[in-house]
Amino acid sequence: MNTLQRALPWIAALLAVVYVGIRFASQDIDSSVYHLQQLRAVPVSGEGRTKPLDTVARNSLMVLSGKQSARTSSKNLSAIEWYMELITKPNEAVNRRVIRIDHPDVLALLGLNEEKRTRFSFDELRPNLNEISRQAMLADQTKPKARDPFQRSVLTLYQRLFRFSELSQLQKPFTVAPLTSSDDWRSLYAVLKEDRTDPDAQAILRVFEAYSNDDPAAFNANLDGYLGQINRVLPGEAKKARYEVVFNRVQPFYVAAVIYVAAFLTGCFGLLLSQLKDSEWGQTLRRSMLALILVAFVVQTIGIVARIYLQGRPPVTNLYSSAVFIGWVCVMLGVFADRQMKLGLAGILAAAIGFGSLIIAHNLGSSGDTMEMMQAVLDSNFWLATHVIVVSIGYSATFFAGFLAIAYIILGVFTQMIDKDRAKSLSKMIYGVICFATLMSFVGTVLGGIWADQSWGRFWGWDPKENGAALIVLMNLLILHARWGGMIRDRGVAVLAVLGNIITVWSWFGTNMLGVGLHSYGFTQSAVFWLALFILSQLIIIAIGLIPTRLWRSRDGMAKLTRTAGA
Amino acid sequence: MIRRLLKPLASLRLTVVLFALSMFLIFAGTLAQVRDGVWTVVDQYFRSPFVLIDLQLFVPEKIAKIPGAILFPGGFTLGIALLINLIAAHAVRFKLRWKRMGIIITHLGVIFLLVGEFVTGLAAQEGKMTIIEGQSANYTEDIRTAELAIVDPSGSDDDLVVVVPQHLLTHPGSTIQDGLLPFKIHINEWMPNSQILGPNQTPPERKNLANAGLASSLAAIPIPKATGVDGQSVDVPAAYISLTHQDKPLGTYLVSVHLQQPQTVIFDGQAYQIELRFKRTYKPYTIHLIDFKHDLFTGTNKARNYSSQIRLVDEAKNVDREVLIYMNHPLRYAGETFYQQSFLRGDTGTILQVVKNPGWLIPYISCIMITIGMLWHFGLRLAPTLRRKSS
Repeated sequence: MNTLQRALPWIAALLAVVYVGIRFASQDIDSSVYHLQQLRAVPVSGEGRTKPLDTVARNSLMVLSGKQSARTSSKNLSAIEWYMELITKPNEAVNRRVIRIDHPDVLALLGLNEEKRTRFSFDELRPNLNEISRQAMLADQTKPKARDPFQRSVLTLYQRLFRFSELSQLQKPFTVAPLTSSDDWRSLYAVLKEDRTDPDAQAILRVFEAYSNDDPAAFNANLDGYLGQINRVLPGEAKKARYEVVFNRVQPFYVAAVIYVAAFLTGCFGLLLSQLKDSEWGQTLRRSMLALILVAFVVQTIGIVARIYLQGRPPVTNLYSSAVFIGWVCVMLGVFADRQMKLGLAGILAAAIGFGSLIIAHNLGSSGDTMEMMQAVLDSNFWLATHVIVVSIGYSATFFAGFLAIAYIILGVFTQMIDKDRAKSLSKMIYGVICFATLMSFVGTVLGGIWADQSWGRFWGWDPKENGAALIVLMNLLILHARWGGMIRDRGVAVLAVLGNIITVWSWFGTNMLGVGLHSYGFTQSAVFWLALFILSQLIIIAIGLIPTRLWRSRDGMAKLTRTAGA
Repeated sequence: MIRRLLKPLASLRLTVVLFALSMFLIFAGTLAQVRDGVWTVVDQYFRSPFVLIDLQLFVPEKIAKIPGAILFPGGFTLGIALLINLIAAHAVRFKLRWKRMGIIITHLGVIFLLVGEFVTGLAAQEGKMTIIEGQSANYTEDIRTAELAIVDPSGSDDDLVVVVPQHLLTHPGSTIQDGLLPFKIHINEWMPNSQILGPNQTPPERKNLANAGLASSLAAIPIPKATGVDGQSVDVPAAYISLTHQDKPLGTYLVSVHLQQPQTVIFDGQAYQIELRFKRTYKPYTIHLIDFKHDLFTGTNKARNYSSQIRLVDEAKNVDREVLIYMNHPLRYAGETFYQQSFLRGDTGTILQVVKNPGWLIPYISCIMITIGMLWHFGLRLAPTLRRKSS
């Protein structure tokens, strides 16, 4: 091993750390004229929690337009600039193309189908507001499950317009802090209607008015005064809001996803090299990949910890955070597995799953605030911290076993990479992970039953989500018992582990789509398509796995192993 | 001899087949909840020896209409089969050795879990107690079963109540007579789930089916039973019944749980009250609702918490105390558990879920056993591997 080979993993890690540092240090808006950076951290109350204005601006723009910035003819408005314009300069804000319409029939209805774009300004929609609300009323009278894509699209548009007007009139979020005249957050719109002299309302209103009057000096002075007051009266909220602004700017999950991609490519390249009989360079790249994954993993961990701090909740509270967490656990398992097997395969999978889960999370999170409040019945940190975490780890492990099995099947059938040693260590790892998955999914499911018994007196209710969890447990048990009984060997375990992927994904997402039961939370339509696509891909892999081993390109390694496996 | 008999029952192949069958049953039982209520599904799929699974479940009706069904072993059969398989396996195959202890403890835990579910299925009782703020209640209602109550209020101290259970009411054309009843009851029509219509909403063929009582101007029509998809909705039954006394007709009545008040039947100078209501179970204690609270998150309609401040009075046991029941904090009393479940419109009262489940502790024990057992077993197998790798 030469010096470069020894140093490369360190260099890779250093580069990744530098990238993180740059993300952390770089400012994304010009805060020199108006102190927008400070404005971002002004706490407000929306959807039941206190959060910085920055989060409101970003989430609102995301919900309206699907992006976190708004383009004008001359420049790109950041979310906070767009929000300030919306509340202080309505005449300009109504010309910003921030309301997204996707469905061609809706565009045709509004006479906008000639435009080759999907984002429109409020002014462009204004002539058709009556028709939009008429169509929305019609759609609303249809049961949610019976609505067609047009109706859903019209309702979404209506909700976007509603949100737009709520925001612009300052009805929501609640911007009047409980400083002197009240003990709870209030809406500026409602307070001003009743009492224009309310001191708490005046405090924030002065900030907005200075912006409206294009008076940076007054704006900055008023903002400083306001933030000073907030810091005195609500120090905890102010501190959390400042942290959340940093979290929003750095976007640790995005950073981690980028590094996972780098790790994935490095790992693939390393695997290729080790195939070309240059195993030293292959191992070097494998270690570099692990170094990169480690940096990404740390960044992702920081993101998860930050969310725990901001929300005051255990890491998994909704579908979004479950995707982040399940990916995180898979990465951990992958690094562990790769250090055991030293093949690079598990690491490549870890990077791919890490990246994929963050992409899934990103798409799940685009519908609004991902740190929303919990339903009252789910409001129990103890059970969120035990049942939800353990069962998520069970899901992760089942997935990870399934993905290892995919590698086993695909590489085994189409390449000669899976020699005797690799076949042995891969199938051992798959088996080991399934054992772990069985333990975690079983304990997690039973803990869920105990939670249910605590909160509504029923240990087991045959609710779809519970059934999904039971299916995962049974799948893992089936694999283990079939192997112990000698009914299947390594290839059979792999094929069934891929089937486990289908069951896990169905239980994780599919049961939500049935719209039944206490566990069903909201879900987007396009997810159905992706879910179907995933299941189809897994079925194809299962079919490939069922090809007799003598036709596999890695058959030499397999053959020897199959003969010894029964012993 | 016994060994030879048990051997096929103890086979691992059988275990695997049973797992696969259970998985299919659970999958079908989940899909079935799109169409039927969760309790119908539980009774049909998971607590029955056999179930007819409609093939239509697996294909959306929009894509294709598929007739036919397959007969499949229900949860009861599969559960017992798994239990036998497991016990037989231990009788035949397992020897008591340290290495095997993990599996044995795990399997004992599983046996506990299965038994626990049987106990729950057979013995657990669930009811709802609805209490209006400032008032008291001493009975629970089973919202899955109705009963017809006939009250003779003429007694000086107590009312005399005779109750006709639901299973006697569901056969149109049948007649109910009993020495305790002041009149014969003839069932004209039974509706498991119903909707009440006013005079102007009623289609002509449903008009004037009743000719006596408070509800004679109204009409009931049958509607499909609620499905799991409909969320918290409850089936509200109704019936048309004709009463006769010594072959003299006393009129045809519309009775329904919807009406929420008794109707009066007068004959021979005496008044009786009849009412179709959810099945009641009277309790030896009384619960008085002092205050119901429904807190929202600031600026939203999302509930932060529901709570009921109640006073529990059980004179026979010298109990008279105040309790706060709220989310995830039930009251356990006299073998029953009281959960905050829902509330009346306008936050005027609370609905408590009252559960009596003698087997409630079993899952806790089995959870502990299985965790210990699996950690033991997998730990024993994993430890040498890890040691080898690190050396």
